[in-house]
Amino acid sequence: MVIFEGISKRYGVHKALDEVSFTLEKGQVLGLLGQNGAGKSTAMNIMTGCLAPTKGRVLMGGQDVLLSPRAAKRMIGYLPEAAPLYDEMTVQAYLRFACELKEVEKKHIPAHVEMVADKTGLEDVLQRKIGNLSKGYRQRVGVAQALCGTPDVIILDEPTAGLDPRQASELRQLIQSLRGEHTVIFSSHILSEVQSVCDRVLILHHGKVLCDSALEELKNRENKLRAVIACGEGTLMPALRSLEKISHVEVIRGGEPGTTQVLLTVREDGAERELFTLLSALQAPLLRLQAQERSLEEIFLKTTDEIS
Amino acid sequence: MRAVFKREIQSFFYTPAAYVFMGVFLAISGVFFIQGNLLARSGDLTQLIAVMGYLWMLLSPVLTMRLMAGERHQKTDQLLFSSPVSLGGIVGGKFLAASAVLLSTVGCTFLYGVIVAFWGKLYVAEVMVSYLGLILLGLSFLALDLFVSCFAKTQMTAVMMGFGANLLLWLSDLAASAAGEGLLKNILHFISLYQRFEPFTQGLLSFSNVLFNLIFVALMLFLSVRVLDARRWSEA
Repeated sequence: MVIFEGISKRYGVHKALDEVSFTLEKGQVLGLLGQNGAGKSTAMNIMTGCLAPTKGRVLMGGQDVLLSPRAAKRMIGYLPEAAPLYDEMTVQAYLRFACELKEVEKKHIPAHVEMVADKTGLEDVLQRKIGNLSKGYRQRVGVAQALCGTPDVIILDEPTAGLDPRQASELRQLIQSLRGEHTVIFSSHILSEVQSVCDRVLILHHGKVLCDSALEELKNRENKLRAVIACGEGTLMPALRSLEKISHVEVIRGGEPGTTQVLLTVREDGAERELFTLLSALQAPLLRLQAQERSLEEIFLKTTDEIS
Repeated sequence: MRAVFKREIQSFFYTPAAYVFMGVFLAISGVFFIQGNLLARSGDLTQLIAVMGYLWMLLSPVLTMRLMAGERHQKTDQLLFSSPVSLGGIVGGKFLAASAVLLSTVGCTFLYGVIVAFWGKLYVAEVMVSYLGLILLGLSFLALDLFVSCFAKTQMTAVMMGFGANLLLWLSDLAASAAGEGLLKNILHFISLYQRFEPFTQGLLSFSNVLFNLIFVALMLFLSVRVLDARRWSEA
């Protein structure tokens, strides 16, 4: 559905994006992660045709955004970092305008505005001026605008920025409801948010792709196991360190007397079997074994720190 | 283009821009009409129309300042640029909306003609030619200031740049008068919008002057599209 092919963007000597490539299938939700200045907004602006790349091309449903802009842009709904709202307009007039821009047939516009307002919870404020709305409602109007014309690809640049927790949660639910029907590209600073909404993550750092992977795969990479073993540390530790499928062993202090609590970093699949065999040979009972899932925040910090 | 045109028209009347433009134009032209026609008992409207031509220079940036610079400042241009509307459609829609306000303003001044026709003699053909010149001059200033607005990041900068551009054009007209005979004078005369306007106010309809204004408008709109396109390649 979306092909981002070898995109570079230069501003003078500064490279905002450097050979960034990825493809996205229909119905996927992609989370774009990166520190400030990583190139997330630049990438989104290039996807939507607001900026032209120095090199590379973007295809939306097979249409080149630069060569066939109208056909490509018909498939895009975009909420930039600052919602593009006209304060002097009412919500209804604004959404009608967005529908006209997105070439919704004139006779279908009233029903379409109603549908979009219903989806984004704007029914009660349709007649109010945008300039008088709260930040939460303004952001919803921005999302509603992106939904006008029922585009295949919805691109949201930090849609929950500046919202209170309840508003952010409602917006996340809305984005989740778009899954399947639309392809969604979503950027955020809040990693737990990306974790809850996206099924694939792309980490950008200084304009380069550091990581492009399914969220589950990413979380399972370098998985950790927490184990409580009824055995003394002196005997256990050298034995654990000799295991091939465990890359790192760390003792956690403060466990029950006569037991050792360890955190094992798994190098490859089958580490559990290797551990059980070892403990059986040592006749050391395994009292508890728990998989430690890495948070996206840990993954993000580790990945960006490694490069920095 | 239609959607952009419609929104701009609505926006002109939601904000003070159109009211300021129309109000100031009608107030000043009204004073000149009372003084130059009613009190002087003169039915000659061409002098009044010539004065109105100078008002475009002052008021055109008021209409055009928000067209591009306002969108850029509020970042609403991203909605337009990411929509299936061509840059030509965006520029065209905005220009037509500003032109509609300008034409409505000119339309209001037809009342002066009605008053003159009612109590005196109105030279209809002469006045119509003068009005044609006035409209072409107004459209040329709008196109120039719209082009200038594409470079500005805020409305205030756009309005100042618009005044500057209009003033330069007027100064080139004055410079032409002071340049004596020669190539420079010919060039300055050729590009001067007011030199092209003058024959209209004398009731002289010249095809070349009409064509010049139309080409000037088309060129400015074309350059506006090019500037917006170039910005996509260079802007951070």
